[in-house]
Amino acid sequence: MHNTELQRIADLLRTEGYITEPSVTMAVYLSMQLQKPLLIEGPAGVGKTEIAKVMARALDTDLIRLQCYEGLDASHALYEWNYQRQLLHLKMIEARGNEGKPLDDLEEEMFSEKFLMKRPLLQAITHHKSPVLLIDEVDRADEEFESFLLEVLSEWQITIPEIGTIKATHIPQVIVTGNRVRELSEALRRRCLYLWIDYPDYEKELAIVRGKVPQIPQQLAEQICRFMQGLRQLRLEKTPGIAETIDWATALAALHFDHLPKDLIEQTLGVILKDWKDTRTAQLSLTELYEKMSVMSKFDAM
Amino acid sequence: MKFLHLLFYRRVVAKVRGSSFNKYSVRAGRMYSSGPHRSSFFNHQLRTQNDEPRTHSDIHSITHSKLIQRHTNLTANIVAFCRYLRAHGFRIGPEEEATALRAAAFVTPNDRTTFALALQVSLTRTVQEVDQFTKLFEEYWKELENALDSKIKDDESKKDRMKGSNQPSFDALKSWLKGNTNQQETETATYSTTETLSCQDFSLISSDQLPELERILREVAQALARKINRRREKTLHAKEFDLRNTLRRNLRRGGELLELSYKRPQRNKTRLVILADVSKSMDLYSTFLVQFMYAFQNVFRQIETFVFSTELHRITTELKQQNFEDALKKLSDREAGWSGGTRIGGSLQTFVTDYGRLLNRETIVVILSDGWDTDESTVLPEAMQRIHQKARKVIWLNPLAGFSDYKPRTAAMQAALPHVDVFASAHNVESMRALGKWL
Repeated sequence: MHNTELQRIADLLRTEGYITEPSVTMAVYLSMQLQKPLLIEGPAGVGKTEIAKVMARALDTDLIRLQCYEGLDASHALYEWNYQRQLLHLKMIEARGNEGKPLDDLEEEMFSEKFLMKRPLLQAITHHKSPVLLIDEVDRADEEFESFLLEVLSEWQITIPEIGTIKATHIPQVIVTGNRVRELSEALRRRCLYLWIDYPDYEKELAIVRGKVPQIPQQLAEQICRFMQGLRQLRLEKTPGIAETIDWATALAALHFDHLPKDLIEQTLGVILKDWKDTRTAQLSLTELYEKMSVMSKFDAM
Repeated sequence: MKFLHLLFYRRVVAKVRGSSFNKYSVRAGRMYSSGPHRSSFFNHQLRTQNDEPRTHSDIHSITHSKLIQRHTNLTANIVAFCRYLRAHGFRIGPEEEATALRAAAFVTPNDRTTFALALQVSLTRTVQEVDQFTKLFEEYWKELENALDSKIKDDESKKDRMKGSNQPSFDALKSWLKGNTNQQETETATYSTTETLSCQDFSLISSDQLPELERILREVAQALARKINRRREKTLHAKEFDLRNTLRRNLRRGGELLELSYKRPQRNKTRLVILADVSKSMDLYSTFLVQFMYAFQNVFRQIETFVFSTELHRITTELKQQNFEDALKKLSDREAGWSGGTRIGGSLQTFVTDYGRLLNRETIVVILSDGWDTDESTVLPEAMQRIHQKARKVIWLNPLAGFSDYKPRTAAMQAALPHVDVFASAHNVESMRALGKWL
């Protein structure tokens, strides 16, 4: 019974164009069943954020995204009063003359939801239907923010002094991603399930490319993926991820190439490598990479 | 059959110190008299209708029911497995155990890979743990099956423990950690006043003076930290008008702007990255440096600590829970061949590729090493250049530089120097004090 549910999620993800590994499916499944946030770590460009997007589509719900950055604070993550609007409102009442309204009512009015600007976290817990909440690159935010996040994630409620405590109407499906810019706190890790996504192997990458760029000729797709696999073995400053592979494949397919000659690689290296030093490293070992790719392709043909 | 089971339970229990669970396990072993034991434990189904976390008391309360006993077999094994992981350095508490048990209820344990995945997702917290998990999982469940298959087994856990302490590098480290064995007598050692101690090379200070030295170091560090803090206050004069807060504060006056409020610029954003050489010749200096640097915790936004000898390791997290010496000890327990040489170039290269993101214009990098590199020298300059480009400041501390006739002659040092902003020694308290002005 359970495995069919697991299968259903795998299918859902697949139909939404996400090629999964069993570990990804399992993590998503358990995170949904146990209603625990899922912490996803891995190198850049392996599709961490994509999981949340696909999940939202698969569950047919909204995706609420909180992009973290240095200095992110509660007013940007939770809520903020719309001061300008409050001020304007006050002026308007003043201009019109206060029609004998008791002060208490007036105050109540000033701090009603009308003037409350909901930021992603508050949005997520007051949403009309359980959304997917993506907290992206949480390690970019400061440690203070992390502890504050913990509170929200464990209590599922937010206290606004002027209004009171707002409880979650639905518990959102939380995905937290990290790039390991800094080590996350133990407390946050413990609150979450954990998933590590690495660069895909050849078969998986090929499947992803074929899924994302359907018009691509088979041979070109295979060669691109082989080349990328070899490229990632080099010691690079910034190893290209799946996003780069797809960009490259899209570009080459649009140019109607059906295979990957060496000079074409050299000309289009800029699509996959974004660092001049990496480009140089790749150029130096291009011949070797290219030969490796050809040999492997021949093996496949056999 | 009965006997075998008892044996197996004892084996599991051997790894589980104390606790009521211990008692239960043995008892359950005795009571267990029928059923398909020889098959793997994955064949036992969990009660799936119950999503409650199964705790120890839970297990206790159902021991008497034979029917449920079969189910709890798996539960007990998972709990024991959690402890097994804990013994291997995983940070797992009751909460994680509960999560694992709940997770296991959602998969059929027959399928080993699925089962492993479910446990992995709920019990791992870092990549390193993910890497270790598969191996440990296989080991553990295989051992369980073995325990059922064979009659007599010597206690491997005991053997493991023996092996651990036989590692020479570990022993060496331990002996040093027990106290500085460098008992060399010097003339000044009898006059243990602050001044003489401050000027002495760390390696020449005898172990009974260590507490005193640590106290001095702490004082110096605190004084420096205060100074740096003050320095920052002064530059805070540049205030920025805060419209939002001004409006907020003046709301009660009906929107007349009477009180103005200002934003202060962000607090010190500087991040400190320490790369400490802990090979044999350097570990003593590294200990002092790291201790010293942690007094600056409140000055800097973040301090990241790495240690290297043959390989690079990030120990920032460990340092939050234990001191540097314990963290090092744990590391040498885990890594075979630790501190069997110094690969400065390779280690720095690893730092650049794996943790390059830590470097930006707000980062000060402090490297402590004597520059004796066993790597070929091409790697080091490249890595250093990279670090220098990205970081705000690179400080290289070399304890040997404390000798008046020292010249940076080693190839590694020569190669690194062009990419270093500050080259200084860190061999005694005085030089540590001087370090303050570079931060």
